[in-house]
Amino acid sequence: MAHAVEHEYTTTGLNHRKMLMWVFLGSDCLFFGSLIATYMVYRGQSLVGPYPVDIIDVPLTTISTFVLLMSSFAMVQALAATNADNKRGIVSWLLATAFLGAIFIGFQIYEFNAFKNEGLTLGGNLFGASFFTLTGFHGAHVTLGIIWLLAMAVLGAKGRLGSKTSLDVELVGLYWHFVDIVWIVIFTLLYLIGGFDAGPAVPPGG
Amino acid sequence: MAHEIEHTSNHPSTSQYVLIAIILFAITIVEFLLIWDGVPIEEHLGASKIPLLVALSAVKFAIVIMYYMHLKFDNRLLGTVFISGLILSFLVAIALISLFVGFGGGPRTYAEARAVPYIEHHEGSEAAEETTTPVGGEPAGPVAISIGAEGETLAFDTNEITAASGSEVTITFDNPSANNQHNLVIVEGGTKDAVAADGTPAGPANDWVAPGDARVIANTKLLNPGTSGDVTFTAPAPGTYQFVCTFPGHNFTMFGDFVVN
Repeated sequence: MAHAVEHEYTTTGLNHRKMLMWVFLGSDCLFFGSLIATYMVYRGQSLVGPYPVDIIDVPLTTISTFVLLMSSFAMVQALAATNADNKRGIVSWLLATAFLGAIFIGFQIYEFNAFKNEGLTLGGNLFGASFFTLTGFHGAHVTLGIIWLLAMAVLGAKGRLGSKTSLDVELVGLYWHFVDIVWIVIFTLLYLIGGFDAGPAVPPGG
Repeated sequence: MAHEIEHTSNHPSTSQYVLIAIILFAITIVEFLLIWDGVPIEEHLGASKIPLLVALSAVKFAIVIMYYMHLKFDNRLLGTVFISGLILSFLVAIALISLFVGFGGGPRTYAEARAVPYIEHHEGSEAAEETTTPVGGEPAGPVAISIGAEGETLAFDTNEITAASGSEVTITFDNPSANNQHNLVIVEGGTKDAVAADGTPAGPANDWVAPGDARVIANTKLLNPGTSGDVTFTAPAPGTYQFVCTFPGHNFTMFGDFVVN
């Protein structure tokens, strides 16, 4: 009775908060699906540069992709520590996840700034509009996740997280992994495949 | 019992999580090698690397939702809710893409004909001329320009083309018409109608251009319906010239400006 979450009875036998999280993630698929489709619609339609091949730095983004994947691993470790009632583990793995997420955001800020200096802006061409909208909303998701993780780390440090309340950590984990898989898709489509899209040939000597 | 919340009985162990992380890393490295020109895999694959990359990222996607997000071990209803959203988003994406463009990559024809090449600018040193893309003063290289006719409407598909003075310009003119013959003649500014009038007596044997006309800078051959041809010439001194089709009657609607800077 002390831990209502664990012994809640529902018609499906499933916890409502967890169900709500999955419903949210399912609908967030639609959000990102539409933005990705918009990018694909505008792909190769820009009339002025810079074009993807002029500015996309695939090796750099491969590194930030590694960082985000690694943060997902830290996240599952945080949940494992929660289930094991390992308070130190909970706090340090949550902070590690948030830290890796922050590095990813750092890469993104650096990239956005570099692109801006190359002349890519939200209103400059179709590539800039669809690129910044899609990756910007993804970055906003990551940022929200970092705030959530830090809040959970504070709760963990106060001793409020453990096997009895592991759902709290599981939910932030589901959100975090979702943000990771969205990036898996974005990385493949915008960088590995779309990153080499060229505009018209530049006259040599120009 | 049936209504009790089943819980986290068989989550993967830490060593399995490590293994999964290693697999995810390995797939990302393979993806990078597929597109990196430091290794020769890239050229061998050509376009077939795209389905490969999509498949690899789908595998990563599946591994993360199955193991890191425990869908493999959790109640199926949760997975159904998520996969439903995922399928819907695929349908939305397919609908949007097929509605607007189709799935071909690369620049589309409209963009290809009109897009301006991007001249990379290096920050700092040449910050002064960063907004003006056309080259000013420097020796210009060859320029390739594609131009077409608008179906049967006796018009070119563009009103203006540009090139740098002194550059070697190749204009490729594509005549998609089913019925009309066309040519493309570059003439001095404001002389398109006079050149066309003088070209009429010269007849189709001379491509509707009077031989030795000093106002003509360059011209393509007379192109039959559905054919294309090109002409290469050195861009003249800076100024505004015209391009026109001198087939009798076409010059009134089928022309544009050729700007040399």
